[in-house]
Amino acid sequence: MKLQHMLGGIENLGPVWLEPRPFVEQWETRIFGIHVAMMALSTHLSSALPGYDMASVPTTFKHEWTWGHLRTGAEAMNPFDYFKFRYYEKWLGGISSFFIEQGYITEAELTELTERYLKGSPPTRPQKDLPAVDAQIIKYLREGDSPARPAPQPPAFALGDRVVIKDVHPAAHTRLPGYLRGKQGVIDHVYDGSYAYFFSTGPDGIGAPMPVYVVKFTPEELWGSMSEPNNVIFADLFEAYLQPAEAAAESAARSAA
Amino acid sequence: MTGRFKYSEGREADSEAKVKALEDLLITKGVIGTTSVDQALSYFETEMGPFNGAKIVARAWVDPGFKQRLLSDTAAAIAELDFPPGMAGAEGEHLKIVENTPAVHNLIVCTLCSCYPWPTLGLPPYWYKDPTFRARAVREPRAVLAEFGVKLEESIEIRVWDSSAQIRWFVLPERPAGTEALSEVELAALVTPEAMMGVAQVSA
Repeated sequence: MKLQHMLGGIENLGPVWLEPRPFVEQWETRIFGIHVAMMALSTHLSSALPGYDMASVPTTFKHEWTWGHLRTGAEAMNPFDYFKFRYYEKWLGGISSFFIEQGYITEAELTELTERYLKGSPPTRPQKDLPAVDAQIIKYLREGDSPARPAPQPPAFALGDRVVIKDVHPAAHTRLPGYLRGKQGVIDHVYDGSYAYFFSTGPDGIGAPMPVYVVKFTPEELWGSMSEPNNVIFADLFEAYLQPAEAAAESAARSAA
Repeated sequence: MTGRFKYSEGREADSEAKVKALEDLLITKGVIGTTSVDQALSYFETEMGPFNGAKIVARAWVDPGFKQRLLSDTAAAIAELDFPPGMAGAEGEHLKIVENTPAVHNLIVCTLCSCYPWPTLGLPPYWYKDPTFRARAVREPRAVLAEFGVKLEESIEIRVWDSSAQIRWFVLPERPAGTEALSEVELAALVTPEAMMGVAQVSA
């Protein structure tokens, strides 16, 4: 079980950091740009979108790299480090490790070059023009990679249905916020069609296209007497995370008997 | 364990050198080209940023028909406006806007990460990515809003939206009083990313 999956509702963290800038150090822009390039060069795009031929893009990058991959790395961190390091420090750690683990670079060469720069070596940016790679980055940013799909089956729930959020087994990655597990809510909106998630979460249950809903929760249901007055919480949830409220009640009664 | 709570002395210099080395190596190995990272960054500087969202909000304030269409089909309404291609691109494939009114205030959060509508708002500010904000926004939104300087009467309902699936949410803030004489361009200049995620109100 990961603290990163259970952030919503944690107390005693002190004031919010009100920093409005997206980047607070210039170097952070570079790791963001590297991540965008990886997203744009990810092999999953060939199957995610029609008419995409990633094989013709002149890059040596031959892996899938989606939000699911980046998030899995952040969720694999020591939870204290997750709080300790700034957002892009986590990205730099995760993305460097990915390139080392997958054999694109070695740890030794990264360390050696990093140390050279730390000692004040002048920049030695290699000159390699890859206009087709740059064009693919812009193509990806302009076109995106919509996970929307025609509905494979009608949605199991309808507007107004009462649902209980499943307490699925812990996994390396999830899109189920921990504070909603076991809680009862009401279907507030049924999105058209279905939505894939380009990263299978295994026992957690998402990946293949399935309906997605807006589920509405009262603060009393989530936080009991600690809740603030007059608010309501909505979450977008994949169908795999929902069960009918009646079924949850029956199963609870069975295990109590 | 104590080392875990200390930062290295060269915290920023280390990261700066490491990311420079990483980018160099990725170019050498043919993963990306010399200008690839610059290419990605310039897109957000010039084409996709909060200036787009501000234009959408200003149009909704001056054109009630557009506002209705925006609320019922956000993507289709945005497509009516004169934006560069890509408003339904990366992290904008499925956009939804929710409206603040005198009775309702909306707040967007992503408790699991930092889902953010890139084409309309650009890249997320640090407060949005802050684990403390993400932890607290769903349990004590009123207290969190007060820290941002938004003090709401208890009679105003707060709606918190946790972006945990594939939809990227943003907020249509209320038009401030006394702005009847302002042009659409002048109105857009008042709209901040904070107002469009619900942690600020627009003031004239």
